[in-house]
Amino acid sequence: MNIKSLPTTLGLVAGLLLGTATGALAEQQGITDTEILIGEVLPVSGPPALLGFAHTLGVKAAAAEINAAGGINGRMIRIIVEDDGYVNSRTVEGVRKLLTVHKVFALTSLSGAAQGLTVLPLVRDSGIPAISPIGIAEELHTPLVPNIFVVGSTYDAASEAIVRELSALNPGKSWGIIVQDDEYGSLTHQGFDRALADLKFDVAYDDKYTRGQRDFSSEMLRLQASGAELFMMGGIIAENVGMAKELERLGYDIPLGSSFVGRVPAILKLMGDAGSNLYATDYVVPEQSEKGIAFLEKLSGFLTEDEMAATNRYTFTGYIAARAMFEAISRCGAEPTWDCTIEKLEGLTDFETGISSPVSFSADDHFARLELGLMKANVDVLAFEPVK
Amino acid sequence: MRSGNFKQNVGELIALTDSKSVATWSCLLMVALIGAPMVLDAHLLGLVTVILFTLVGALGLNILMGYTGLVSLGHVGFLVLGAYGYAVTVGIHGLHPLLGFLMAGIVPAIAGVIVGAPSLRLKGIYLAITTMAFAFIINTAILEADFITNGSSGIFLPRPTMFGISFKSDAAFYWLCLFFAVAALAVTLNIRRSRIGRAFMAIRDNDIAAQSMGINLIAYKLLAFVMSAFMTGIAGALFGVYLSFVTVEGFTFHLTIEALAILVVGGLGSALGVVLGTILIVLLPEITGVLLSLTGDAAQEVMATKAFEVRNILYGVIIIGFLRFDPTGLVGIWKDVQRTWVNWPLKY
Repeated sequence: MNIKSLPTTLGLVAGLLLGTATGALAEQQGITDTEILIGEVLPVSGPPALLGFAHTLGVKAAAAEINAAGGINGRMIRIIVEDDGYVNSRTVEGVRKLLTVHKVFALTSLSGAAQGLTVLPLVRDSGIPAISPIGIAEELHTPLVPNIFVVGSTYDAASEAIVRELSALNPGKSWGIIVQDDEYGSLTHQGFDRALADLKFDVAYDDKYTRGQRDFSSEMLRLQASGAELFMMGGIIAENVGMAKELERLGYDIPLGSSFVGRVPAILKLMGDAGSNLYATDYVVPEQSEKGIAFLEKLSGFLTEDEMAATNRYTFTGYIAARAMFEAISRCGAEPTWDCTIEKLEGLTDFETGISSPVSFSADDHFARLELGLMKANVDVLAFEPVK
Repeated sequence: MRSGNFKQNVGELIALTDSKSVATWSCLLMVALIGAPMVLDAHLLGLVTVILFTLVGALGLNILMGYTGLVSLGHVGFLVLGAYGYAVTVGIHGLHPLLGFLMAGIVPAIAGVIVGAPSLRLKGIYLAITTMAFAFIINTAILEADFITNGSSGIFLPRPTMFGISFKSDAAFYWLCLFFAVAALAVTLNIRRSRIGRAFMAIRDNDIAAQSMGINLIAYKLLAFVMSAFMTGIAGALFGVYLSFVTVEGFTFHLTIEALAILVVGGLGSALGVVLGTILIVLLPEITGVLLSLTGDAAQEVMATKAFEVRNILYGVIIIGFLRFDPTGLVGIWKDVQRTWVNWPLKY
């Protein structure tokens, strides 16, 4: 090649590439004449699959429900799930794959809180509409991220709610609290402190444990010695089970409070009778409520028997997130785009899902804070029921 | 065709390779690696980027375990210290990323001196347990020192801009990782051929004999820890930038197991082995996914819901397999292939 012709050739190549790129932009990724591709990144293997897999079932059921009714403006929904195993680096790889290999139209999960924060720049820069119903970190919604929406409740709000509710049920009783030495524990304590500042109850026991700890014998002995009459368990699953079992061994039967994070049937199975005095607050209805029973019955029409056995509260949250996203896409009409979907999500007000308080977003607030309700464990049926 | 390793002058002795074909292939590989972002899609480019910064950390561990024979199960501690060294410098204080990378090396290196001290008296499994304890202590220390590290809240990390060059794009960050990987490879290859490297290997083979030959065990063992921690820290900083959010949760003990798997599978003590091991271990989940996708729906179903378990089992099987059938690792297999190619049709 003549060296003088090199700039011309490079210009032509650049022009060609630019033309291709512009052509690609004209078509919205993840949308074909017959299909809309929705992506999720979640832990669907390993121990955290307890929540991730259950979530995918909710999204799957929501998609099946829409598809059975003819899809979104004639297009069927197809879900692609990337397994991150709750490992931050794999969440990045998963989102990258969904964006660039599968080329999905929208995301209905960004995995857990830390994982969501890890992929925040990647998702924000891509501009793809995304809903995060599991990882509810503050940075995902404040300051406002144009294309990310969060639905649910914060850990501190859940902690505050349970302390307020149990205090109302047991007036004048003293509290004990233990939290994990991480962000989750810190938020749990913040909620507890807010309720304490308002209600001014006695705190007989206040402690912190190391993440991953399984033996709580010494902590529970100290709790018993303190004489606390109500106990806020700031663990997740194995930790809360360990504490409840230890209290049962000590014969110290007091009301136990926990947040929605570990409110799954597995925890009740592991606790056995030790969970009979366990309370929780959650923004989705309990399984043993009228609405919960009706929802699970509806789900059984879309899920297999094995899948139904794996459902839990995260199936409910997945369903809520998916329905909100599908509704926004549907409101965009025949040619949905990312911009339109984001605009319609922002315009979503009082959207009923039947299993939570209505979902509302606005242009200034991308966090739909759902109302929290008190519920109590029923160890006989391994589910929670509402507390009137 | 080469028929031996006869050297005629010092230049030939200190050259990284005496083979023109190796030099040519290395240059071609380098060109291919530089041009990779033009060809690969974002996902594949991401995977190669992961391979590159993992390689930096694995080469660091290789200095300690492969060259010096000191077992460490706590390298994830150096990795997290490196990430925080960079994140605190750049993410919190907004200082220059170059200073961030420097701190990412220096902070773990200082910790390396502290962790290395027990190595003067401990060996084998006892040293391994000591280093493992260090990894747990570091996590707790970072969480407790929230006035420096933001504790459990973590630190957001933007992609760096240095000397007017922005590394915000995936391709630019890939080239940054490529630079560090090539530098780490060059350093480890040269260490091996230096006085320091020979002292490390003498300690590995027989520390009493090494001491009797005048090698200062205290100095060289600590130096091995410092060099290893420095390189691992740089890998930690790159890992942190790749994640864009640094928190102790992102640095699980599983990373230590992966690093050990890389060394065992690749071939302990060999830089080429570390490269091959890194490629295999990082790509293992992808390779497994592709292979299982060829075997039918049932296997795919297993992979869909049991990928974590399958991957862990595969790590175990591969490590046991190599230890049992070919302890020299992938580099041993590669050398066997080379030997067979040179000597064919003769067996030896």
